[in-house]
Amino acid sequence: MKTSIVGLGQTEFSKNSGRSELRLATEAILAAMADAGLEVNDIDGLVRYTWDNTTEAAIVNALGLPSLKYYGETEFGGVNCCGAVAQASAAIEAGLASCIVFYRTLNARSGVRYGRGERILSEEDGRLINRQPEPPGDIYSAPFGLLVPGQHHALYAQSYKGHYGLSDDQFTDMLGSVAVTQRAYANNNPNALLRDKPLSMDDYRAGRVITEPLRIYDYCLETDGAMAMVIVSRERARSMGVKAVDVLSAGQYIYPGSVPMFLYAPVTHTLAPPEAGEDLFGKAGLTPSDIDVAGIYDATSMMVPLALEDFGFIGRGEAHQFLTSGGNGPNGALPVNTHGGLLSEGYFHGLNTIAEMVRQLRGESPNQVDAETAFITLRGASSMILGRA
Amino acid sequence: MTVIRPGDEYLAQPFWTHLANGTLHLSTCEDCNKAHHPPSPICPHCRSFNIGWKPASGKATLNTYAVARHAVHPLLADQVPYTITLVDLEEGVRLVSGIPHGMEVDLKIGMPLECKVVKIDDQLSLPYFLPAGAADQDQ
Repeated sequence: MKTSIVGLGQTEFSKNSGRSELRLATEAILAAMADAGLEVNDIDGLVRYTWDNTTEAAIVNALGLPSLKYYGETEFGGVNCCGAVAQASAAIEAGLASCIVFYRTLNARSGVRYGRGERILSEEDGRLINRQPEPPGDIYSAPFGLLVPGQHHALYAQSYKGHYGLSDDQFTDMLGSVAVTQRAYANNNPNALLRDKPLSMDDYRAGRVITEPLRIYDYCLETDGAMAMVIVSRERARSMGVKAVDVLSAGQYIYPGSVPMFLYAPVTHTLAPPEAGEDLFGKAGLTPSDIDVAGIYDATSMMVPLALEDFGFIGRGEAHQFLTSGGNGPNGALPVNTHGGLLSEGYFHGLNTIAEMVRQLRGESPNQVDAETAFITLRGASSMILGRA
Repeated sequence: MTVIRPGDEYLAQPFWTHLANGTLHLSTCEDCNKAHHPPSPICPHCRSFNIGWKPASGKATLNTYAVARHAVHPLLADQVPYTITLVDLEEGVRLVSGIPHGMEVDLKIGMPLECKVVKIDDQLSLPYFLPAGAADQDQ
């Protein structure tokens, strides 16, 4: 890729924004353009998730943008946090547009909650009816009570635990190391929803089990708010005098059964085949050992060990050792989710994961590490490598 | 107890009408004889449109499971905890299934399971998968 991320903008993370998703989106977009030092009228392209309720048309009309020369959607939600950047980058490289904003706006706590069954169930005459054609919570899974993404993650977690024969204690220590380490990062992050709530390993162990084997602290935070980022060509970024971060490689990788929700993939104890990483790193001309910091999409804590193994940062089955010895911490071999992650900062559907890696490469993270390269993935379905400009 | 039902327009489809008649059938290619799930108008193995329905043997292995302890809908409060499973059928397809409410079984990944179709009402029956032996118990 020959593009750069040149601006970030967001609203606060909250449980109840008190504003419409359109309002949130426009606030985030204005902030991102200001951060980039560009005029709002410079926007000539937009990308978003199909799950976002606020269309490009709504944004164009609300902001009175003079013209849009490219707009595009990527399927689903966080699955494409890096896919949307890849799409924007490809559009820029193809000359379709020159300044593309990727936005996500959601009242996911005060509005429709991904963690609740009401999203996919209707009550009719005292009965619960499901009409979802595809997971999560579709007609083939809902009758068995498999309704929300978090329950799917418990299935992957149990599969990993069973495949590697981890004891209950080992498994608890492994995921607890993710949750506790990330909370400590969040406690140092003024933006984080849980900045004022410390979490000890004892707190973690005592946490309520939501869907076994996952506890409350293994789950991300349903959040209200919006985020936007500005993508331009690398050439243009160099002339702007802002702290640009370069997209070295970005792409998508799905295969039969891996989407939506991975229910029908051939194996369930690993979520991305080696080719996904080989392709991504090959295009960047880098290897996993070249990466300084990682943003791993953590809808649950389980996605961290899986991604570390799936992308070759550690060997298969080594996650317990790596995580319980602090490998993901501030002084570890690969600091992970230094904003606190979706677990403890908030949930802007992966855009805040990307934003933290951008901040690391700009030298602006609340938990700054010495970083020239950053890796981001959602279980391999879309992934990206960023580099300091 | 609240059972989550697919809408009637779905229950009229062959997967569910076969279950209502007491057997698990799989969407299967008439040309290459391979099954697939969920049902599809085209075979993902040989891309034939010649798709039919064949009874499953009912033999499966446990791929993974999870125990829901938190009810994600108010009407499910009296159901938790309940067990959700992913099962790999002998025919090479995966199904989402579970353990019927109130039944105690020890699960271990990789263990053999057998299908038991449990009737909910005239329109709806569900394919549960239970450890061999447990499948013969009365509900």
